Amino acid sequence: MASVTEEQFGGFGMSNEMEQLYAQRLARYTTAMRNDKPDMVPIRPLVAEFTAKYAGYTCQEVTDDYEKAFAAARKCAADFDWDAVVPNMVFVWAGLVKAVGLKYYATPGTEIPADTAFQYLEPPEDDAHMREDEYDLLIEDPTGYLFNVWLPRVSHDVVRPGEPNTYRNNLSFVKGGMAMMQYFGGLGAQAEALRRESGTVAAIAGILKTPFDIMADKLRGYKGLCMDLFRQPDKVLAACEALAPHLLHVAANSADPLRQVPVTVWMHRGCMPFLSPTQFEKFFWPTTKWIIEQLWSQGIQTLFYAEGEWNANLKYIAELPERSIIYHVDRGDIFEIHRAVGEKFCLSGGIPNDLLAFGTPDEVRAYCKKVIEGVGRDGGYIMDASAIMQDDTKVENIRAMTEATREYGVY
Amino acid sequence: MSENQPTKPRPGVCIPWERKREELEPIQGDEQVLRKAWEDVDALGYTYVWFCLLAF
Repeated sequence: MASVTEEQFGGFGMSNEMEQLYAQRLARYTTAMRNDKPDMVPIRPLVAEFTAKYAGYTCQEVTDDYEKAFAAARKCAADFDWDAVVPNMVFVWAGLVKAVGLKYYATPGTEIPADTAFQYLEPPEDDAHMREDEYDLLIEDPTGYLFNVWLPRVSHDVVRPGEPNTYRNNLSFVKGGMAMMQYFGGLGAQAEALRRESGTVAAIAGILKTPFDIMADKLRGYKGLCMDLFRQPDKVLAACEALAPHLLHVAANSADPLRQVPVTVWMHRGCMPFLSPTQFEKFFWPTTKWIIEQLWSQGIQTLFYAEGEWNANLKYIAELPERSIIYHVDRGDIFEIHRAVGEKFCLSGGIPNDLLAFGTPDEVRAYCKKVIEGVGRDGGYIMDASAIMQDDTKVENIRAMTEATREYGVY
Repeated sequence: MSENQPTKPRPGVCIPWERKREELEPIQGDEQVLRKAWEDVDALGYTYVWFCLLAF
């Protein structure tokens, strides 16, 4: 097949073959996400440190040098027949973390061994990033709170207003801001490179966390927040409501302008046993639901990354508008989820990570076949592991998952 | 209200144009051009701190 000129494909240097492959995969992926039936089951593995292992890098290399992380993701995309991948699932770039002076990450090769994935360090309850008596400050002005109180507390270098200024404080903002621009500029180029080099779709765009998760992760800490649910529940609710418009704004403004791929909401504190269904209904769900509905009203789908076991909350999730989410299944029973909400939403995931790490290729193939036949038979299913894949995932099992999807997933 | 505590800004805003406008001499040219430049760059500051919170 003859190649076309770069000009014919907007200067991306894409061959006609690659452009056709990209278009085919994009159609397959987006059709499934709208809960319709494409030509075959799409595969979109959320591969994180697995990419480093496959490409021959250490965890330190892909965390310290995002160009290596990008190269590893592109190598996987080129070598495996995947419809879509996240441009960089090793989302913590140590260069930016160190430039800002963030205290809450242990990065490979520095605080932890070079072959260990980066770790989030939850602060002790008595040294939370947000103190228990600071709710009113946060609620009154979330952005001001982040700049004036939160950032100085989570950074080694940023000083609070009123304290003597420092060289390190000034550098933190200059280096942090420029590094962030550099990184996100690189991510845009990475998405184009995936398209040009392997015809692979950049699977997601944008940034979203739920108000409750961000309160638990980065502000009060999970333990502190749990105490607040009993000691000052109205403040927790008000804080979630104060954060929600900002989280919506960030998600909507970082989402795919073409509205083709979803924004992912990375959730983990909403499921049992972290929250009871009663607590979920009162504290977690109202603002989460509101954000997803607002995004959907703007044509933005949400990849509902439900880390953990969420089946107890299915009746709430079923309240969301039809097709507004792609329900990513981690430890929940994917067959029960399909029966409960499969008519409304596309599902993804459901292939256990422990199987991919410790099972055999034959076992992986059999499990993929079972899920495709039980969940994907009418469309609306995207093949993936249950959770993001780190470096314990076996290469031969990823290969088996990919081949099984193509063998059993044709409609 | 101190300079470190901006007037309850909207999402996407650190220092609202209305507040910045009060600090300026009478604007001799097109105020809307200046306003857009202010708001576009102010939004980058907003993005910075919220991305620190959400993405890193």
